[in-house]
Amino acid sequence: MRVTFYLVLAFLIVLTSCTGNHQKQLTLAVVSGVEGEALKQAASDYEKQTGIHIDIAEFPYTNLFEKELIDLKAHTGAYDLIMLDDPWFPRFAHEQVLTELTPLLKKRGQSGPDSDFVATSLALCRHPYQTGSLYALPYVGNSQLFFYRKDLFEKYLMKAPLTWDDVLAAAKTIQEKETAGAKGGQVYGYVERAAQGNAAVADFMPIFWAFGAEMFDANGKPTVNSPQGIAALEFMIELGKYSPPGYVSFNADDVGAHLLQGTAAMSINWPAWISSFSDQSKSKVIGKMEFTTLPDGQKSGQAEIGNWLIAIPRESRNAEAAVDFLLWAASAEQMKRSALRGNPPTRKSLFQDPELVAKFPAYPAQLRSLESSRPRPRTPYWNEIENAFGIFLSKANSGDLTPEEAMNQANAEIEKILQRAQ
Amino acid sequence: MRRKIAQGSRYALLTVALLFSLAPAYWMLTISLKTEVDQFASPPPWFSFTPTLEHYYDAFVTRGFGEYLFTSVIVAVASTACALVIGTLAAYALARFELPWRLNRRLSLWILSTRMFPAIVTAVPLFLMMRDVQLLNTRASLIIVYTGFNLPFVVWMMRGFFADLPRDLEEAALVDGDSRLGALVRVVLPLVSPGLAATAVFCLIVSWNEFLFALVLTQTDAAMTLPVGIAGRVTQYEIKWGVMSAAATVAIIPILMFALAVQKYLVRGLSMGAVKG
Amino acid sequence: MQKSRRFFSALNKRELLLPALFLAPAIAVLLALSIYPLIYSITISLQQGTAAGVTWGLGNFTRLLSDNFFLTALAHTFVYAVSALTCEFLLGLGLALLLNKQIRGRGVFRASLLIPMMLPAVVVGVIWRLMLNPNFGAINETLKRLGINTASLTWTASPKLAMLSVIAVDVWQWTPFVFLVLLAGLQAIPPEPYEAALIDGSSRWQTFWHVTLPLLKPSILIVLLLRTMDLLRVFDQIFILTEGGPGFATETISLYIYRTAFRFFDFGYAAAMSFVLLALTNVISAIYIKFLHAKETI
Repeated sequence: MRVTFYLVLAFLIVLTSCTGNHQKQLTLAVVSGVEGEALKQAASDYEKQTGIHIDIAEFPYTNLFEKELIDLKAHTGAYDLIMLDDPWFPRFAHEQVLTELTPLLKKRGQSGPDSDFVATSLALCRHPYQTGSLYALPYVGNSQLFFYRKDLFEKYLMKAPLTWDDVLAAAKTIQEKETAGAKGGQVYGYVERAAQGNAAVADFMPIFWAFGAEMFDANGKPTVNSPQGIAALEFMIELGKYSPPGYVSFNADDVGAHLLQGTAAMSINWPAWISSFSDQSKSKVIGKMEFTTLPDGQKSGQAEIGNWLIAIPRESRNAEAAVDFLLWAASAEQMKRSALRGNPPTRKSLFQDPELVAKFPAYPAQLRSLESSRPRPRTPYWNEIENAFGIFLSKANSGDLTPEEAMNQANAEIEKILQRAQ
Repeated sequence: MRRKIAQGSRYALLTVALLFSLAPAYWMLTISLKTEVDQFASPPPWFSFTPTLEHYYDAFVTRGFGEYLFTSVIVAVASTACALVIGTLAAYALARFELPWRLNRRLSLWILSTRMFPAIVTAVPLFLMMRDVQLLNTRASLIIVYTGFNLPFVVWMMRGFFADLPRDLEEAALVDGDSRLGALVRVVLPLVSPGLAATAVFCLIVSWNEFLFALVLTQTDAAMTLPVGIAGRVTQYEIKWGVMSAAATVAIIPILMFALAVQKYLVRGLSMGAVKG
Repeated sequence: MQKSRRFFSALNKRELLLPALFLAPAIAVLLALSIYPLIYSITISLQQGTAAGVTWGLGNFTRLLSDNFFLTALAHTFVYAVSALTCEFLLGLGLALLLNKQIRGRGVFRASLLIPMMLPAVVVGVIWRLMLNPNFGAINETLKRLGINTASLTWTASPKLAMLSVIAVDVWQWTPFVFLVLLAGLQAIPPEPYEAALIDGSSRWQTFWHVTLPLLKPSILIVLLLRTMDLLRVFDQIFILTEGGPGFATETISLYIYRTAFRFFDFGYAAAMSFVLLALTNVISAIYIKFLHAKETI
């Protein structure tokens, strides 16, 4: 027993000495996952090139928002650069904790960000949306795509789905007729994610918009319980019948897992997943997935944009060095490296770059999707609204509330949130 | 014969309880050793898969989980040690001295009550406090906070143990000219050492596994503990089960070792106190 | 055992110095870590920030009464706490009684039963999420092999089963704690009362009810107190398992407070809710102590 004790102790000591020794110069907060990975790589490339060391602090998506906001509001100056998911941006800008970038760009001889950036991506970085001052640069150009199993469509002689009705019909057909693998496991026509919060809302918005519904009217009053909104929710629930059981709690990873295992045939998803589908160690459906723009409803299909932005906190003590890094990382050459690692770029030229298009044949579709995409409503209270809306979507999908009740209650809740903000 | 049936069924029940307790931990171990395709295979292979050490390599060499481990060890051990020392002194005072104004009871209850406030709300003021004293993102801040967490438990447990102990031996030591502190250290502590061990194990577990404050009070790798590092494996698109399980498996080894070493004393220690109100 | 020496009354200052010194560090640490947060929380709970500025008053508290989310979360917390506590207590007591006899390999059983307690809540949440996955998870796979139809058993996705799943995970993790403390208590009981009961001709049930349980009161008290406090504050594993879903079905008060504080940054409201929780915990603890306060029975 004693011997084992010492052996294990020695082993642990060896493990703990696998650490580095840094002199820190810039600190960067990133999200864990493929986007953060790309930025980490960029940071280490930068160090090799310039000798400036960048310390990375990595957080899971669920905690990154609060971690960043609490540090920025408390003026700790701990971070020099932060990654922001675009729906969070209005909150940060509203709280005035970000550095305005235009003056810093002017100092470097640029009047503003260059025109190679996709317009919709750049618009996200301004507060107010599209017209205001620039507070961030877009780094990862995600906008939703529609994924479907082209092999199954060919098998059942169906054309590529163009409208949501097509999708529903196809889902029915596939689910009734297809079984997976030798054991005859069920293949589901579609896979939705309806975990309350970001998951449910992000996947629902394209359907919501396609049905002609809007979250806010021209005066900023919530209108989710319009007839179109309720119809959209009813459709979501209908589509849920062709989703694997338990979709009411699915997150992105569950959706991805089903698609990769071949147990679901269609879904809305983010381009970052595309590379996994050709990965031998993860995918059972290599070469069988097709990616296209979102289906139409009454209105033509608009993807939801979901870019990752990089901003510089007001309190950063190294703002100049941070801007240098930011401009370097967002340059075409560096962004191309990030793209090769699986992160969609935010520059038009890169979407058309032959090397990248060869590696990612879906790029043309992605560019179309990105340029016609729309963002989630740009309000500083998006977090509360998304939370409340997500709860009601989840309840409607699990049968706790009827679609009409859910939308009415959601609307009332959103009104309450906005009122409190007055 | 009835005896044998009783014994047999006792063993059976215990084995079931054992399997139920250990199966998830075993599952975690297998996940850490499976390749990614196997991890999600349906039906999941419980035993028949080719093991791989890639996740352990990934966790500790590529991603530097070693640093998190080191921080966790330092923070847990230091905060437990502080809590034990400070708490034992306080517990001794509460058990042996009759204080005025019913302070014994009042202080004990107050100390216990500090454990009741939901951590979530103390997180923000403590964050601000640490920022103001420039201790943010340091191991010291975590050590201080965890000591505060563990103190109530230590005081309550040790007070019970002390109260149960007959005073004769201490009195004898005092008569022999020893100081109160000396009597405590030389005579009393050895007698309650099983209780100390038991308390120490619980404190270590609490500090080791704590998540919320580790998340809030640390900002970079310099001070992050294992739970925060493990939680970081939950990315937006997929959960890095392999790395997470590998890190988690290694995370429980120190605690397991310590607990196994003292488990004999654990029960004896707890039974000595059987805390009185 | 007699108290051989009475210690002195308050008036003798010199005798107070030593206990004061012993108590000082503990009190200092706890004061520092609890006073500032307490004052901060009280202050901020009385403030409401609006676009116009900060207004003082009881607005946050009155808002609680009409907040359906809050009341539902509170209800969920109670359901969770009561169910988990009952299961943990009964199972823990049962296990303790089982292991109180001399069994071979007792050490191994005891040590292994400790493992669930030692896992970080984050890991527990993730592992169980994987095991409870309706399509890939080990639980449903095992049930399928036993011939049970698992189509509707979506565990953390089902509003009806989600609470059950979350409770089950807590029971899995913390029954060992209850078991250990109760076992310790059982082993502290001397043989005499049992012998006396035997002589008196008590049945096993009567012995248990009238001898064992009363003598176990101190341990029961500590278990109930500690577990209740922790159950009312539960956060980590529910956060990972279900994040309060589906559709708010497993949202406990701590989750709601977390969301309010960290996602919506409404600290005043979060503080107000915490005070309510604190008050409730105090009341319940007081009830326990009154009900179970062990007097010497031997």
